[in-house]
Amino acid sequence: MIDWLTELQRSNPHLIKALLVGTLVSTACGVTGCWIILRRMAFLADALAHAMLAGVVAGFLVMKLLFASQSYAPAMLIGSVFAALFTVVVVGWVSRVSRIKEDTVIGITYTGVFALGGVLLSFFSRHVHIDVVHFLTGQLLAVRMADLWAMAFVTVFVLSVYILFYRSLQLVAFDRVLAASIGIPVLAFDYLLTACTSFVVVSGVNVVGVILVVGLLIIPAATAYLLCDRLPRMLALSALFGWTSFIVGYLWAEAVNVAPGSAVVVTGAAQFFVVLLIAPRYGVLADWLRRRRMIPQMLIEDVLRSVLKSRQDTISLAQLVTLMGGSVDRLTQAVKQLIREGLLVRDGENVRLTDQGRDYAMRLQRAHRLWETYLASVGTPQRELHDRADAMEHVHDEQAVDYLDDRLGHPLHDPHGSEIPEDFVHLVPGAVVPLAMLREGHRGEVVRLENESLESDFALGMLLTVKARSRDGHQWNVELPDGRVLGLSHQEADRVWVKLRVE
Amino acid sequence: MTEPAIDVEHLTVSYGPVPALLDVSFSVPPGTLVGVIGPNGSGKSTLIKTILGFLKPDVGQVRVFGQPTDRIKGSVAYVPQRSAVDWDFPVTVREVALMGRYGKVPWYRSLSPEDYAAAEEALRRVRMQQLADRQIGQLSGGQQQRVFMARAMAQGAQVLLLDEPFAGVDAATESAILDVLRETKAAGRTLVVVHHDLATAAEYFDRLLLLKQRVYAYGEPREVLRADLLTQVYEGRLRVFAQVLEGGDAEERGDEGERADR
Ligand SMILES: Nc1ncnc2c1ncn2[C@@H]1O[C@H](COP(=O)(O)OP(=O)(O)O)[C@@H](O)[C@H]1O
Ligand SMILES: [Mg+2]
Repeated sequence: MIDWLTELQRSNPHLIKALLVGTLVSTACGVTGCWIILRRMAFLADALAHAMLAGVVAGFLVMKLLFASQSYAPAMLIGSVFAALFTVVVVGWVSRVSRIKEDTVIGITYTGVFALGGVLLSFFSRHVHIDVVHFLTGQLLAVRMADLWAMAFVTVFVLSVYILFYRSLQLVAFDRVLAASIGIPVLAFDYLLTACTSFVVVSGVNVVGVILVVGLLIIPAATAYLLCDRLPRMLALSALFGWTSFIVGYLWAEAVNVAPGSAVVVTGAAQFFVVLLIAPRYGVLADWLRRRRMIPQMLIEDVLRSVLKSRQDTISLAQLVTLMGGSVDRLTQAVKQLIREGLLVRDGENVRLTDQGRDYAMRLQRAHRLWETYLASVGTPQRELHDRADAMEHVHDEQAVDYLDDRLGHPLHDPHGSEIPEDFVHLVPGAVVPLAMLREGHRGEVVRLENESLESDFALGMLLTVKARSRDGHQWNVELPDGRVLGLSHQEADRVWVKLRVE
Repeated sequence: MTEPAIDVEHLTVSYGPVPALLDVSFSVPPGTLVGVIGPNGSGKSTLIKTILGFLKPDVGQVRVFGQPTDRIKGSVAYVPQRSAVDWDFPVTVREVALMGRYGKVPWYRSLSPEDYAAAEEALRRVRMQQLADRQIGQLSGGQQQRVFMARAMAQGAQVLLLDEPFAGVDAATESAILDVLRETKAAGRTLVVVHHDLATAAEYFDRLLLLKQRVYAYGEPREVLRADLLTQVYEGRLRVFAQVLEGGDAEERGDEGERADR
């Protein structure tokens, strides 16, 4: 290894300089990238990188024409930071004054400024000798002392900003409203962060080129984000990942003789995908394992309904397995979870529904049968009904079920003739509901009439007793206090609001 | 007459051609628990952000204990709406509570042991100290809400603004949060709480502000929860609120009954 390095050093006198520059830049990029992804500015970073071409050319021209100095790094640096800030200001301004969304404005502005750089470059081609290929792919192999100093300055500058203003930057990223309310100048921090981003982008261009610099910014930060729940750790880890992708990428690029900038970003991306796969909490594998271990809500609900269907709400595990099929292991786990949630209790060998479990199961039953009625009413073939309803019963959101119930005219039976449980979520004593929701035997007091024509028969405060429905469940019959029985349509019954009596 | 804790005068705030708030005026005496109600998009969050000084009004002004908002700097604490928080942000429960202290420490100084102690104490009050090292995304909805309550308490502000603290929490958490609100009020603080549940609004708050771009009513819950006003503000969605209205009527009837008994 050492031999190989000395050999490398001999064949490439720039090695030490290149490694130093790369270390500085990848560290600065890694740390800055964290702020960028936490503030969702990744696209903006890309824009800055492109806009820089105009700045670099302008900086070059100024130095060349005014001071006759050839490609003076600090001037190009300042030029690009100007171009970057100009882009940001224009983006902010256009999205404020027009209806064009910010991402579109960014696209317009950076291609525009990038192209302007191209125009400048070709127009002044006699004066400007910037190697566009290097600009696009980096010039690690030809790092000059001036570059090294510029990088050192940028790195020290941005790291000091992040350390000194850590609290403010964190709060502006996490909660702008609180930040503003305690007097932090949020806009000033936006610009500060943009300036820092421009600095590191400019410095990164030297290493990996304008196209790949965004990779050096974003990839290590995203990799660290997958592994950390704390910002300080994320910043440190991101710097480390930036550095490792640089070192590893650079060395293998030298070994097999490919473009070092590309090798660095490829290494970073590989690093990211490995971490994405194996990260302990937010990784794909971990997620897959968790999901395998997790009992899906649907299985839980199926178990509940099976217990409800059994005699006296109690069933043994063996019966459950024959009834439901599937893996014994997972059924056991589902039952355990239901016990933990207080929906089932152990009863010797058997499990039994608790009151809460029964309520839940009845809600599912109601959802199942209403869905089945609904599916039949929209022309679902008979043989598919049950299975489709089995899947749909898990959509048992109260409002959705209420909607079905109302739309179907509050049916009493499903297509197989089984009774649909009443809406016991809303039908509690004291609740105010439309008469149409009541079932035979319910009693309630009229509290509101939404239709004046009803006032001839009903009066506020009148106590009604609900009788069995007639005409295939399409006519509601209610008994008035004087013994008369009135027949109402669904529409009329919806317009009489009653307060349910405590029985 | 004591100075109002919050005094809002002729506030108009807009994001575009349609104002989010229009000529909003009201004032809150110290030690009051005020509920802000109104349908989605009625400007409740906008009002909160303007009182905080985050949004600048087009017209009008906000004063907190007589001071204009750009001068209050941290004396108003804030609990954001759940949907406004990035729950994936790499930050722990304790770190969030500590943010309540940021306003008290100049940027060149580090947080003092007292700041850590205040954050810890606030977490204890909302019973979140056991989970202090969790990342905030790994909490239940109710716990998440409590973390931000702790942050507001750590700030030690006289005025607290809470945006839908009861949204998406279970009944137990709801009553725990309510207890904290009442304790805070008993300590003489002023609270403005955005609330979405009309059924509990009368029970929870001393005063209600019925808002939909404009102020439709402000005062005792009984004066605000009137059928005609609610119909106007929640047009077309009244079916949902029939219970609330009837509940209110029933109470009134109950009162009359008592009087008749006497
Ligand atoms: N950042 C924003 N930009 C543009 N319009 C907004 C913004 N925030 C809120 N609005 C608009 O202002 C109105 C009030 O919103 P908001 O205060 O969030 O209402 P609420 O909190 O009562 O739901 C809505 O019409 C909403 O669309
Ligand atoms: Mg809101």
